Amino acid sequence: VDCSTILQEDCSRPQEEEDIMDIPLDDPEANRAAAKIQAGFRGHMTRKKMKPEDKAEGEEVIKEGKGRGKELI
Amino acid sequence: MAPKKDPKAAAPAKKAEPAPAPAPAPEPAPAPAAAPAVDLSAVKIEFSADQVEDYREAFGLFDRVGDNKVAYNQIADIMRALGQNPTNKEVSKLLGNPSADDMANKRVEFEQFLPMLQTIINSPNKAGFEDYVEGLRVFDKEGNGTVMGAELRIVLSTLGEKMTEAEIDALMAGQEDENGCVNYEAFVKHIMSV
Repeated sequence: VDCSTILQEDCSRPQEEEDIMDIPLDDPEANRAAAKIQAGFRGHMTRKKMKPEDKAEGEEVIKEGKGRGKELI
Repeated sequence: MAPKKDPKAAAPAKKAEPAPAPAPAPEPAPAPAAAPAVDLSAVKIEFSADQVEDYREAFGLFDRVGDNKVAYNQIADIMRALGQNPTNKEVSKLLGNPSADDMANKRVEFEQFLPMLQTIINSPNKAGFEDYVEGLRVFDKEGNGTVMGAELRIVLSTLGEKMTEAEIDALMAGQEDENGCVNYEAFVKHIMSV
């Protein structure tokens, strides 16, 4: 096999290391914005689980509370 | 005979040297400023009788013990079930900044719950469609209306009130396209539809 025909690896993978360094971990504004978004997401997920067609999951939401002490601090 | 020498008198018991005063326990790192507790008795309830009945019904669904109360750690979910989106910090403040133990074991009566719900409903700065879109737009590197699902997952798990992997998986299910990208306006519309 002619080595010169070996295809180069696709370089278009997202540069995740760089992205991670961009995450503003200590920025209070970013954290406040994230918390608001997360609150909206959590609200959505709870309501979705409680819809009649998801009765089993709705039951889980109702019971789940018991195990979540740590998480909610 | 030489008098027996008294065995040397036992050296006077050395006064136990005072142990060096134990270094004062380092002050525990100050807890992040806990939000001051809310005075729930000052909250004016503005719900109609019908609304109160609806809330009472939802509240009852969460009472698995049968004592007409619910656990502290269920309050956030009841509020979410009733259409609100409280942050965990807001709920914690309403409950008087409880410990993890309190969260699991203390219970709240419906009458105590109502002013908590009223407070959340009254709170200013509630996020709307634009707020969520703007928040996510920060991560739209190419300005094309999409964010990398992978990046969004990292943000959700490392910033703010961190989400667990299970929560994130549930949230993102079906939201990423074949390139792992999320159209965030569509995503927010989907979020707000429930």
